[in-house]
Amino acid sequence: MPSYELALMLKAMPKPELKTTLTRISHAIFNRGGIIRNIENLGFRAMPYKTSSHSLVHREANYFVFKIDTATQAVADLKEEYSRDVDIIRQRVYKIPDKADQTCTLEQELLPPAYREEVQKMIELGKSQVNRFTYKFKYNSGLDYYPFQK
Amino acid sequence: MALLKTFTIRSVFSGTHRAIISSLRSYSSTPVVAEEDDAPVEIENPYKKEKPQCILCKLNITPDYKNYRLLSQFQSPYTGRIYGRHITGLCKAKQALVESEIRKAQNCAYLPYYYKDKAFLKDPRLFDPENPIRSHRF
Ligand SMILES: [Zn+2]
Repeated sequence: MPSYELALMLKAMPKPELKTTLTRISHAIFNRGGIIRNIENLGFRAMPYKTSSHSLVHREANYFVFKIDTATQAVADLKEEYSRDVDIIRQRVYKIPDKADQTCTLEQELLPPAYREEVQKMIELGKSQVNRFTYKFKYNSGLDYYPFQK
Repeated sequence: MALLKTFTIRSVFSGTHRAIISSLRSYSSTPVVAEEDDAPVEIENPYKKEKPQCILCKLNITPDYKNYRLLSQFQSPYTGRIYGRHITGLCKAKQALVESEIRKAQNCAYLPYYYKDKAFLKDPRLFDPENPIRSHRF
């Protein structure tokens, strides 16, 4: 099962109700055979922009991030269920990216253009193509008329 | 007593001096220095410049959409626009990552689209937008 991050914005509500909402959200994951690795509470704060959902305008939200492992097919199902939940203002699911250990390529990027590999590739490509600025139409091409405007 | 001391020290010094000179003479008169000791030594270029690295690679930071305070430092405080690679001085991979994570954070309502949170306005500047690496038309 791949790992996902479920970023949820819950509407402003008292603590006991928040607790029941979180358990409801978690049970939806468990019912589809998923597991929760971690729940992060990013706090209650003002949203940077107002959001309307379920015919209510929200300016503040409880931010939560669930780290879950679930089947890929269950994700769309979960999204659909959460979209019907009136306590959830907004929800986003992101796949956790693989750890890519790469080295910094800034040194090659700061070279003058002629020494950069991508520029050299472009020059090679340009050599293999017809230069339309210097190309001259040949009259012996088999056409019995001049195809361009004179 | 003091006079005696200085006298003895002087005599000792002069004695050693003579000995050193005699030993030098004996060395210079016989060229027995092995060729391997005198040969030029293969070393790395001591004047080679340090490999330039972008600030995120140097500090080994992977940008994350939940760390929106860091991401907001790559945005213009006036328009919320993401600064380009010629201003931020990041390598291509990190710049692409920063841009995608900012988009994610804006989508999750962690970051605003068209301004910068006023709590973050006095954060230390990682780069100078007035002095880009390459000139631009803005
Ligand atoms: Zn880098």
